[in-house]
Amino acid sequence: MGLRYVLLRVVASAAMAVAATLVVFLVAHTVPADPVLAQLGDKQSANPETVARFRARWGLDRPLHEQYGIFLARLARGDLGESIASRRPVLDDIRQYVPATIELATVAGFLTIVIGVPLGIAAAVRRDGWIDHVARFLCLIGVSAPTFWLAFIVLALFYGGLEIAPSPGRLDVGAGAPPHVTGMFVVDGILAGDWASARNALAHLVLPSVVLAAATIGIVTRTTRAAMLETLGQDYVRTARAKGVAERGVVRRHAFPNALVPVLTLAGLAYAELLAGTVLTETIFSWPGLGRYTYQSALAVDFPAIMGVTLLVALMYLAINLAVDVAYLVVDPRVARR
Amino acid sequence: MLGVAGAVIILAWGAVAALAPRIAPHSPLQVDVLARLKPPSAEHLFGTDSLGRDVLSRVVLGARVSLPAGLVVVLLAAAFGTLYGGVAAYAGAKVEEVQMRVTDLFLSFPPLLLAMAIAAALGKGVLNTIVAMAIVWWPKYARLARSLVLVQRSLEYVEAARGLGQGGGRTLLRHIVPNAIGPVVALVALDVGNGMITFAGLSFLGLGVVPPTPEWGAMVSEGQVLIEQWWVSTFPGLAIFSVVMGFNFLGDALRDWLDPRG
Amino acid sequence: MMRSASTLRRCALTLLAALLALAAGSSPRPAAAAGKTTLVLGVDISDARTFDPARQFEYSSPITMKAVYETLVTVSPGDYGTVKPLLAESWKLVDGGKAWEFKLRKGVKFASGNPLTAEDVKFSFERLAHVKDQPADLTENMGAIEVVDPQTVKIAMADKNQPLLTIFTSVSYAVVDAKAVMAQGGTSAKDAEKADKATAWLDTHSAGTGPYVLTGWTRNQEVVLERNKSYWRAPAAFEKVVLRHIGDGAAQVLAVRRGDIDAALNLSPDQLESLAKDANLKIVSAPSLDYMYMTLTSSADLNATLAKKPARQAVAAAIDYDGTIKGLMGGHAIRPATFIPIGLGGSTEALTKEIGYKQDLAKAKKLLAEAGVPNGFSFKLSYGKASIAGTSYDLVSQKIQSDLARVGIKAELDPMDQATLRTAYKEGKAQAVLTFWGPDAMEPYLWAQPSIGRVAKRVHWTPSKDIVDLVNRAGGEPDPKKAAALYREYERMLIDQANYLMLIQPVYRVATSKAITGYQLTAAGWQVDLYDVKPAK
Repeated sequence: MGLRYVLLRVVASAAMAVAATLVVFLVAHTVPADPVLAQLGDKQSANPETVARFRARWGLDRPLHEQYGIFLARLARGDLGESIASRRPVLDDIRQYVPATIELATVAGFLTIVIGVPLGIAAAVRRDGWIDHVARFLCLIGVSAPTFWLAFIVLALFYGGLEIAPSPGRLDVGAGAPPHVTGMFVVDGILAGDWASARNALAHLVLPSVVLAAATIGIVTRTTRAAMLETLGQDYVRTARAKGVAERGVVRRHAFPNALVPVLTLAGLAYAELLAGTVLTETIFSWPGLGRYTYQSALAVDFPAIMGVTLLVALMYLAINLAVDVAYLVVDPRVARR
Repeated sequence: MLGVAGAVIILAWGAVAALAPRIAPHSPLQVDVLARLKPPSAEHLFGTDSLGRDVLSRVVLGARVSLPAGLVVVLLAAAFGTLYGGVAAYAGAKVEEVQMRVTDLFLSFPPLLLAMAIAAALGKGVLNTIVAMAIVWWPKYARLARSLVLVQRSLEYVEAARGLGQGGGRTLLRHIVPNAIGPVVALVALDVGNGMITFAGLSFLGLGVVPPTPEWGAMVSEGQVLIEQWWVSTFPGLAIFSVVMGFNFLGDALRDWLDPRG
Repeated sequence: MMRSASTLRRCALTLLAALLALAAGSSPRPAAAAGKTTLVLGVDISDARTFDPARQFEYSSPITMKAVYETLVTVSPGDYGTVKPLLAESWKLVDGGKAWEFKLRKGVKFASGNPLTAEDVKFSFERLAHVKDQPADLTENMGAIEVVDPQTVKIAMADKNQPLLTIFTSVSYAVVDAKAVMAQGGTSAKDAEKADKATAWLDTHSAGTGPYVLTGWTRNQEVVLERNKSYWRAPAAFEKVVLRHIGDGAAQVLAVRRGDIDAALNLSPDQLESLAKDANLKIVSAPSLDYMYMTLTSSADLNATLAKKPARQAVAAAIDYDGTIKGLMGGHAIRPATFIPIGLGGSTEALTKEIGYKQDLAKAKKLLAEAGVPNGFSFKLSYGKASIAGTSYDLVSQKIQSDLARVGIKAELDPMDQATLRTAYKEGKAQAVLTFWGPDAMEPYLWAQPSIGRVAKRVHWTPSKDIVDLVNRAGGEPDPKKAAALYREYERMLIDQANYLMLIQPVYRVATSKAITGYQLTAAGWQVDLYDVKPAK
């Protein structure tokens, strides 16, 4: 699995993302909802002239193959068209919502790894000890507590009750965003040397990212534990122990690397899922992210937005899966066979 | 020990589901808007919901939909995904490549849209919802299973088994599956609750069950707008929690039982 | 190993402490800050898509539009039938009743400093018509516009028997600063649909005469308004107004309790109940002109039984209207007799008592027998996953289902996403629909006309010539009393027809901080007039 393979995968990924848009395009057009009738006011939608004018504006009056052709032609020019619901270029929408989501997903992903992996290892090493039981209990809560419920509880506790967390939203009320570079306020704040903004944005990230991480930590902890238990029982680990290698060394050098492959796989999938956005957490924390945008676009049958989001989400999934596959090599070269 | 506890929890829920109409103290559909949102009392142990219906009775009857829905989706997806991923990792490089790219393609669809389209194409109903969910659910297991098998097949004992002339299928079953299944079981045990909640989440598209049929996930989200009436969402939430816990205990026991060295 | 476990614990604790310290470092509450120079509203603004008066047609945006723009004439809360002066001092019918002539108020300046002239009115209204976006339909009855002199403008009516003056109260008829808008690429020419380029600028700036100016808008985050220093009346009470996007009602509850926002606009009845005891808060309310209603089809192809009038009347007689309002809305709703909401065209609660539907199960059974289905029948009731004043269609539909079951009528609930529902409804493909109506402008004809026009088509009812004549006469009648009498006769016919069952006309309620006063809700499209809101003394 060399550089050539990775390059091939990159090219294949781009092609697949476009293929995904074709499938989604066909699938979306089977939904018996008309975006123009859904968007227009009651009176306007009874006026055939108005309806025809709006249909034409988004090319919805053309045959399907032509519509998709137009999409491809625009895509080649780096244009995703105009959203039917927001009436601005889909790219502008994405440019606003994606950085907000990346920021949130990355902090949540970070929390997941730094808490979930060590907790899973500790639970496996001290199996049936107190740490195993506590970890299990926390994971079960994190996974089975409904997201909005958890979100509301932490908001009620830390924002409403203890008054130590900031209000929902990305920044304090009336606080202007730092100069736009990446759209991620923490990063932009640091780049501009605007520490107040960076700190403000980071403070607003804490609660929503903890809520998001709650579920993924549960999954990563439990699968890390399971994978560690498998490897701790393997012959080569026993051999290492018999040779007198210290327990820490056994865990770190022998058991952990093999356990890491499935953990990486799941962590990658979880991160991709976080990047695709999460509707409920975004709603409660008034987070202008990709999850709500996707949700609203799907519900409005907003074809240009749906296609744009599909392309983007597909690319993110493909990129992360590729990164995970490459990481297998780094972690455990024996897995490679090409 | 925990495994027994898990089995007891699941069997108890199974019994509740089977005997639901006889256990429920009230009709789960009896609307009485003047008795709405009453806190737990002797008359209504779990209180009443926004339409004055008995929450306990709805939790009991809800087991009939939520248990099978969560289970079927996850087991279906896990069984197919694991098999698919396992075969991919064990098959030749070309086959694996094609199989995993297909998985990628499935992962890259927005699940919501897929669900809407399936509702439009197949029609609404519990079964179609389960199909729609399973379609977006399996690739995760495929990727996990593949990664597990990749690790196993590179280990010495597998090489040795193959060297001794054991067939591929036999090696897969005798050596690889028992050693690799742990994380899959752990994930399934957690996923069942996720399945029940997602199943309910699709109800706003008219998928899943149609009101007024009681169902846990829908009951939990009904309580979402309520602030002081904690009982409306807490009791169905606890029901989901107990099921996930039961499966988790069972999952750990299953893993131990499968462990060839345990 | 013990060491590694304790390292782990230490790491976890450090991380937690760091998170808490970071979260704690948030800045002081702007809403409660000393001197009260900023007003903060917590509101769901996810529907906002533009602040260009010629394009804006959303639900939450008129709050902003009303604060930064003004219209020629206006109405006040609770008295929607009386047109009052705003930018126009006086007006009269001219040319034999075929046109309205307005005298503009003297000394009014736009926020830019430009004086208001008749040219601005002509530009604004022609731009509204020619940009041809959603609100352009409100210009249907607007004819040629003539600048008589800088302070006088004459606007012709396409049909003198149809309303126009009341429609000028809509925020779509905002008068914009023609010079400022043209400088940003705006045009009112016939080809404005393609040629006008001012929208992008108008989305984050305003060009009006209102008490505030728009200075910023970040979608799904906030809208920022600042005081207009050259306002023609006393200057606005706040230096700054922020419409903060909080999409979730429960989060709004927390924010208004904590004092981060001065008003929480999107609360459910039960959430409001939980705030009623808070000593720092006050709940203000006003009846809206919105309502939730149910349609029943007349098409035998869709449902052979519903197509029979007695069957529809049986449904109407089986619903527990009062229980729905009392139980699901906490009593905070009223109910019109039929399509014209209470507060307009002579529609009142007394009228509903007199001629509207009532629950009468014996009568329902009799009607079912008359329809040839003494043991009941079934129909499909479609609705979208949404809510009105915090009460979901899901709850209302289940309540109706249980009411109808008492006389043997089976309503099969058919929930779906809004886009699919609207498509099915507007294309006339649904047997029965639970849906919503909101005002375009304060003119009863804009309700009555569709009920015998486009909405009648959706339920496959062909209105008689009598009822059509009645509505047209009422629409052209300048005397509100006489119009009300005509509408009443139309309402009786509509009720007998039983295609539309009005369920809930909510009383909207907002939780406000006691640090502000003058928060007066209005049903006139813009919900609240921010100019009236002031810090409490």
